[in-house]
Amino acid sequence: MNVWLQCWSGYIRLTQRWPGLAAIIPFIPVVALWTVVTEAGVFPRAFLPGPLDVVRSFVTLTYKGILPDYLQDSLIRLLAGAALGMALGIPLGILIGTSRWAHRICWPVLLFFQAIGDIAWLPILLIWFGFGLTTMTFVIVYTVLFPVVLNTVLGVESVPRDLARAARSLGASPARVLWEVTLPGALPNIITGLRNGLGYGWRALIAVEIIVGTSGIGFLMFDARRAGSTTEIVLGMIILGLLWYIVDAWILAPLERATGQRWGLVTS
Amino acid sequence: MQVTEAKTRRPWIARSVNSLAGTAMFVAPLLALVALWAVVVPLFQINPRIFPSVGAVGAAALESIRDGTLIAHIGASLLRVGLGTLIGVITAVPLGIAMGVSAGVAAFLTPLFRFFSVLAGIAWIPIATLWFGYGFGAIVFVIFNAVFFVVAYNTLLGVKTIPHTLRNAAASLGAGRWAVLTEVLLPGALPNIVTGIRTGLGFAWRGLIAAEMIATNVGLGYMLFVARDFYRTEVIVFGMIVIGVLWLLIDRLLLVPLERSTIERWGMVRRA
Repeated sequence: MNVWLQCWSGYIRLTQRWPGLAAIIPFIPVVALWTVVTEAGVFPRAFLPGPLDVVRSFVTLTYKGILPDYLQDSLIRLLAGAALGMALGIPLGILIGTSRWAHRICWPVLLFFQAIGDIAWLPILLIWFGFGLTTMTFVIVYTVLFPVVLNTVLGVESVPRDLARAARSLGASPARVLWEVTLPGALPNIITGLRNGLGYGWRALIAVEIIVGTSGIGFLMFDARRAGSTTEIVLGMIILGLLWYIVDAWILAPLERATGQRWGLVTS
Repeated sequence: MQVTEAKTRRPWIARSVNSLAGTAMFVAPLLALVALWAVVVPLFQINPRIFPSVGAVGAAALESIRDGTLIAHIGASLLRVGLGTLIGVITAVPLGIAMGVSAGVAAFLTPLFRFFSVLAGIAWIPIATLWFGYGFGAIVFVIFNAVFFVVAYNTLLGVKTIPHTLRNAAASLGAGRWAVLTEVLLPGALPNIVTGIRTGLGFAWRGLIAAEMIATNVGLGYMLFVARDFYRTEVIVFGMIVIGVLWLLIDRLLLVPLERSTIERWGMVRRA
């Protein structure tokens, strides 16, 4: 008991000095447990590979250059899709948020198309564009678009009308009101939308790569599944998890917090 | 004060579903879209292999209703989602609360659950099909873990947000551990739990469609994917409409009211 307490207090002190460690240390017991389970042979190796196998396959695949290539493919697809989705989504969201009529007409349509979901588009996209980059980009743009549009609308509507009126009465043109009042006011919501959209887009990308399957991490995993090699599947899962963890925890979440603090409306 | 304000300022869409006029306003743009579709397809003589006409989709709908395949597909999909969600919620909520009881344990486990909730759903399809074979087991597993990790993580967050003074107050008034658990922690975390269920189900629904395309021979995703092999765009479009309508119904009639009522009933009213 005492030993445990000492370990625990040591851990607390350590994480207080280097907060980054708090995100890493909890994984150590999990990996240890994983090693013990696989070494003890609870499950057959073909079902659950050990951590060492995964590290070995990571090294081989990196050495062969397959892994960096696939990772690059996946990331480029995701980034291109996200950029295009934002470029379409933010103006559309601002239009719908500022105009009552656009809101009335577009909102139900938006909700319905969001409900269809990205992956349900795959079959018809495959007929339209075949197995290729266009299909994948379409799905990711579609996935990113809706959270961005819906959140931008929410953001624009959360800006008090009085602020826009005040700016107008001080002589600002409508374009300037848009640029200096509406857009900054909506920014925290837009970032939230981007974060949600990328979360969905990331999953959609994996599904698309599994089904369309020419390259990418999703393809790596499903190709390994066809060959019955769990090692590469687990490797793919770990890479996906780590990558998204890094993007979300170190880039998107701080970005969201920072815009919230800088431009968020103080509601009291 | 703030609760009443929240009640009067319901989102536009939630009110509209309640009132008939609102429903008409909601449906009108969609009907206009269908009308546009009915005009554009014959006007430009679009190849039915590229996009079907309204009539063809209607015929496909009638056919699948008459021969019972639609009911079979919908039934299979809903059964999988229902079962996976049920198991996920039943296991995740107690675990999330147990983890959240101690602040230290919660802080320790948060990164783990964050990591796994990121992976939840589709990324498990390859290994799930290997563990359970193609079919029912693999799909239910994918849905289960999409719901499980997201709900557990949200429950953990929910328990963490309950102010310690509330727990201490209950304890000093003589509440035992069990009473604190059922009367402070569980109700306090409930809004987060329901939000978690809604998010998790959103992931699970997409995961379901993807998994059904890959790993089964019945269900809505399978219906779409097989129709693709025969270039039957009318079946694909009909399937997409069914998927959209089903999710709208699940989300708007079940999850949104559930979320709103739990937040109104148990949500923490904070002074800004």
